[in-house]
Amino acid sequence: MQVLSTDVVIVGGGAAGCYAAINLNKKGVKTLIICKGLVGKSGASIFAGNLVVSGKLLGNTDEQARNTAEFLIKYHNQFLIDQRWARRCGEWIEQVYYPELEEAGLYFRRDDAGEVVTSPGKIRSVAANVQGNSGVPFMDLRRKQLIRAGIAFLEETAVTALLRRPDDSVGGVFALNCLTGEYCVILARAVILATGYSDRLHARSTGTREMSGDGIALAWRVGATLVNLEMQWWHTNDVAAPPTWQRMQVYPNPMLGSEKSARMVNSAGEEFFNQQRDDPLAYGPYTVQLKALAKQVHAGKARYDGGYYAGFDHCDPHEVDAYTTYGKSFRQLGLRFPEDLVETAVSAHYRQGGIDVDTETMRSSVPGLYVAGGLGGHSNGLIALATYDGKMVADAVAEDLCKLELCELPNAQVEVERDRLERLLLAPGDGVAPAHVKNRVRSIMWEKVGVEKDAAGMNSALEDLQRLRIELLPRMQVSNKVRRANFEWLDAIDVINMIDACELIIHASLEREESRGPFMRRDFPWMDNVQWLAANVMKKTDNGFHFEKRPYELPFLTPDFQMRRNLDVPW
Amino acid sequence: MVDIAAEPAPRVGARRLGRVERHDSLEARNSQLAIGDPIAVRIRRFDSEAVGASYQDFQVPYQKWMRVLDALNWIAENTSSDLAFRWFCGSKMCGSCAVRMNGREVLACWEAVEPDMTIEPLRNLPVIRDLVVDRTPYERKVASFEPWIARTALYPGFPEPLTHKEMKDASKTLDCISCMSCFSACPVVGLGDLTDFAGPAPLVQLAQTGLDPRSDPGKLKRALERSGIFHCISCYKCEEVCPAGIPIVSRAIEPLKAKAAQLVPEMARHSQALRSIVAFRGRVDPGALVLRVQGFRALRNLPRILRMLVRRKINPLKTLLGIKTAAAGAASRLLDREARSP
Repeated sequence: MQVLSTDVVIVGGGAAGCYAAINLNKKGVKTLIICKGLVGKSGASIFAGNLVVSGKLLGNTDEQARNTAEFLIKYHNQFLIDQRWARRCGEWIEQVYYPELEEAGLYFRRDDAGEVVTSPGKIRSVAANVQGNSGVPFMDLRRKQLIRAGIAFLEETAVTALLRRPDDSVGGVFALNCLTGEYCVILARAVILATGYSDRLHARSTGTREMSGDGIALAWRVGATLVNLEMQWWHTNDVAAPPTWQRMQVYPNPMLGSEKSARMVNSAGEEFFNQQRDDPLAYGPYTVQLKALAKQVHAGKARYDGGYYAGFDHCDPHEVDAYTTYGKSFRQLGLRFPEDLVETAVSAHYRQGGIDVDTETMRSSVPGLYVAGGLGGHSNGLIALATYDGKMVADAVAEDLCKLELCELPNAQVEVERDRLERLLLAPGDGVAPAHVKNRVRSIMWEKVGVEKDAAGMNSALEDLQRLRIELLPRMQVSNKVRRANFEWLDAIDVINMIDACELIIHASLEREESRGPFMRRDFPWMDNVQWLAANVMKKTDNGFHFEKRPYELPFLTPDFQMRRNLDVPW
Repeated sequence: MVDIAAEPAPRVGARRLGRVERHDSLEARNSQLAIGDPIAVRIRRFDSEAVGASYQDFQVPYQKWMRVLDALNWIAENTSSDLAFRWFCGSKMCGSCAVRMNGREVLACWEAVEPDMTIEPLRNLPVIRDLVVDRTPYERKVASFEPWIARTALYPGFPEPLTHKEMKDASKTLDCISCMSCFSACPVVGLGDLTDFAGPAPLVQLAQTGLDPRSDPGKLKRALERSGIFHCISCYKCEEVCPAGIPIVSRAIEPLKAKAAQLVPEMARHSQALRSIVAFRGRVDPGALVLRVQGFRALRNLPRILRMLVRRKINPLKTLLGIKTAAAGAASRLLDREARSP
């Protein structure tokens, strides 16, 4: 077993984790990234299709600047956001984010005359190289910035437990190198969790292979307070087949250099969503789209897992191909582009909620444990927001470091964790494959905690998960005891985090007795701004947990009604 | 019998002609199987702790628009849960799932399954287990190129003056997802330590910043000196397999070779000499080539010269008299035109 020590250990190699590391390194803080996948290649950051322009950048008008703020607060976060944080973040994006990225070499797509190509409309966006693929060069740049700065990163290494000092503060991690099968302990003065927005907890999900709710489960085990876990966002038009493409989106966002974007058609061939007509803000209309789809599902003209179609048959192919990758999936399936539409389905996407943090410092409720990016419960995803968190957490950690001692090796905790993982690998079991248990969890979540849910279904999901724990987990068996690249072993470790995270999410979903944007309850179909313009805070107690409501301040934008049927709310 | 003359020639580029002739279009690949059809999958299993490799056979039912990765996932979930393969995104972005299917490199998440397929790990990289390869040799090479832009002038602020025309080649290479398909397909990389060729994937990574007009040519020069780039034989294998469709030879390696000819002329001696001989004579003259590259040092290897004389590989008389072939005019016109084009 390897034991390393550093000032700060960052768990996660996406936009937030990388940027936190770069900033800490600039401040002279010794930092190490530990990533379950490959830095800059796993998680949600590479999926950034395009990059939103805030403030007055690139000739944005006052109205466009206001729209961006409105989009972030209203459409993107359904008012469950610290509006002052949103403003700070917007200013930083305008003043620091874009110039810094370009100075480092990121290529914002130009035309031959040298103008940065934008999507026209009420909110504008740009692309890094190609729209639909912006996250790839973006994260590639981050990876190379780490290499250039000499920041160490351990890849394909899964953190399985947070380690605590005698005073219960967090000061290290226990991890398994998935390629070598070796354990390692990293001792630090502070730990930053940056494991991302998007977990693979539903049968259809945008979460990548390695995303199994680890951040939520790890933080909860050390007592961190959680918030708004129920606020699950959905992609409405991801390709329905093949299964591996469940996160391949037919992007609804306006195309760069064009007024048009994808349209959606129900099983009867009727168009039911077109950006220009149906989304007043013409940007990132995921919730507006989802509501339009829900109405089609109620009318029997679509299902959440397919039976409706999306595509660009109203566009000139040159218009689509000029700056986007949007035609690639159609062509790869042998479809005619743009004449053919492709069958689409819903996938669970980002989770707005997560660990409760102080947005000034990114501290969690547990001393020594900080959070950056999507795992935090303070906002929904955008790569710029995750990056901003990276900066905030670096500032705060650097300031706090003088108060935090390097953690000493907590031998007892290390032994317990090592035994747990050894047992998972070596348990005789009864032939139940960990991958099978994973699939069971995902089906339960899809069927009973999907787009539309109610108390009866969710309670039944809790019972199912409990049965799974009692009956299936003891029978689980890793068939091959080899240690190198044993992804079956990793599945066995993952599935325990998945079950824990799912249960927490369901409890939080039961607690919020309303519907709000993408959070749709059949038994509480109204958006309730009297009771629920509030954070749904979940605190761990000695014998379980309890919930608290924490109202949001509304300094800039306020919803213009108290109660309305969620499906009738246009955002 | 089909009247060959009556069949219109397919209108595709030369590099895709073979596929078209085999009716291997994307449409065909996506429609040759019906849902539920059995797919025969043979996978190379290997564990570096155990001895030797073996092939294991599986049968997988076809699902709509099934990808190679779907077949691997089906096997891991239903028959052989210890099959080791790497993937993260499942949608052609992370580039971690490349394997060889029936002898060609494919991105597992992107390529349609075939009725009968043998899946093997990528070549030219150490195998860790089954289909999982060790990426470190590639990563090390990329890092040695210092793949970031070094500005010679102060950054003027966002947005800086830059046109897509200036970024055209670099932009193509920015689509690289470092899946290493090309690295596996490259026959020169396959020669191992016989050459110091960096391989196509690291060169694409180098081109991202090396062909960016904002970056310092001095840094590119240092990288090129370590690249062994002239060992590339322009066989286009890399382009053929690139799932991102990057014209690796024409838009990355050739432009980098041109940069090398300017920045590190001694690296390009052999290829420059070859080019000017062809332009002048309309053919390759091995004697002239050896003389131009090695000078009279070439005479030290007398036995080889004699062998070449006997086999009529060289003709000193023609070489010294500078005899041209009938193609000389055309060759010089073509090569000049190519040199002039951007």
